[in-house]
Amino acid sequence: MKYLLIVLALIATSSIYAQDSLSTIERQALQNYKTLKPGKSKFMIRGFFFTGFDAVDVEGVTDFGFIGGGFNPVLLYKQSDKLFFEAELEGGYGANGFELGLGYANASFILNKYVTVRAGQFLLPFGTFTEKMHPAWINRSVNAPLGFGHDGIAPSSDVGLELRGAFYTGSLKLNYQIYVVNGPQIKDGSIEEGEAGMLKFGYMKDNNKDKTVGGRVGIFPFSNSMMEVGFSAMMGKVGTEGSRYKDVTANLYAVDFSLVKPLSFMKSVIDIKGQYNYSQVSSADFLDVEDTTGGFYSFDNISNGYYAQLTVRPSLIENKFFRNLELVGRYSVLQTPEGALWEQNPTQITVGLNYWLDWRTVIKFGYQTTSGLGNHDLGATITQDMFYFRWAMGF
Amino acid sequence: MKKIIIITSVIAVLVGSFLTVSSCKVSPMVAMKSGAQIWGENCIRCHNGVSPDAFSDAEWEVTGMHMRLRANLTQEETNKVIEFLQSAN
Repeated sequence: MKYLLIVLALIATSSIYAQDSLSTIERQALQNYKTLKPGKSKFMIRGFFFTGFDAVDVEGVTDFGFIGGGFNPVLLYKQSDKLFFEAELEGGYGANGFELGLGYANASFILNKYVTVRAGQFLLPFGTFTEKMHPAWINRSVNAPLGFGHDGIAPSSDVGLELRGAFYTGSLKLNYQIYVVNGPQIKDGSIEEGEAGMLKFGYMKDNNKDKTVGGRVGIFPFSNSMMEVGFSAMMGKVGTEGSRYKDVTANLYAVDFSLVKPLSFMKSVIDIKGQYNYSQVSSADFLDVEDTTGGFYSFDNISNGYYAQLTVRPSLIENKFFRNLELVGRYSVLQTPEGALWEQNPTQITVGLNYWLDWRTVIKFGYQTTSGLGNHDLGATITQDMFYFRWAMGF
Repeated sequence: MKKIIIITSVIAVLVGSFLTVSSCKVSPMVAMKSGAQIWGENCIRCHNGVSPDAFSDAEWEVTGMHMRLRANLTQEETNKVIEFLQSAN
């Protein structure tokens, strides 16, 4: 009997001890959870990387080699349900080794469900390519269409203030962006005479007191959001205060189109995108460096260009290999002003085959041919053929 | 004087637009869309459909807010998509 009581006492003691231990573990777990529980402020690093190989033939001279890894980290910071910050850095090897630049940096404040205020340097909503399609893993083609990027006619980013938002009216969805920025600046030819009259885009110290205003309206005609048509405009003075170009203005317009639709009879998703850009700069005279008497020349400073792109991906078939394949074709045209030293009228065709390793990692193979006249050398022929390979990863 | 007229006009247009938008009603078909449906319709407009397990719940909040601004999603669409992705990751 005595032994039985001792055993029962031991069992009871160990049971109490076990319960107490469990409580301690639970308390510790709760403490750990509280420590690890994320606060309202959250930070993420996202972005993209790409590398590849190009074989380029220009006028019969072939050059080929690996291209350096482009590295664009995007910093995202959600301070609260209303405050947000984002910045994109642009890293890569240039003439002076590794170079790091700022793509954009801006802060947003969600004023209400219809209006968000954004300030800082931001990608301009001029059409959709620059703002939404430029990352290497989102752009199905190998590069930007003609008219975008360096020496392009479409604006890239600028610094200023923007209002944006989206709303429904019935089943029709509308989105808008209105902004005021420092604006593009006209090149007077003093640095590169061959670029006189060209517009310079990006973040710069403002060259005049007038600000450039612009905006975009996007319309989704169908309730499934698969189709969007957008209209963009931007206008302002581009000449430097006090210079002979002080009254020069620029009016830029764009129309963009997007249709993404799964087609069950093709067991594929098709993606059609396009954008038309139009740039009109008021007349100005530029110094003719070849005229020893110091004469000037002028031209009708109107440029336009467009691209149309079709991608087909058989995402709805069962074979894993084939459903990760994607065909892409793009047609792109640019026409810069007749009479300008930077006159050119290239046409570009790109055909490619992409393979998706996952939803944000793609391998691109393809061929691109560009032909036309001009390219910083009036009357010269542009003939460039390129075979490319790219590995692009979003993270 | 010209600038005052422009500024006044812009403010009038903004106020008028805001009042108009505030009175807009969403159709029942749109209002009843699930987060999964909105995710399926909108993400592929620019990139492939996002795998819900790509990010944690906290990361989806940041990504969702980023996409609200970049892809011009409405507040309701954003909330539904985030909720769906957090439930499916």
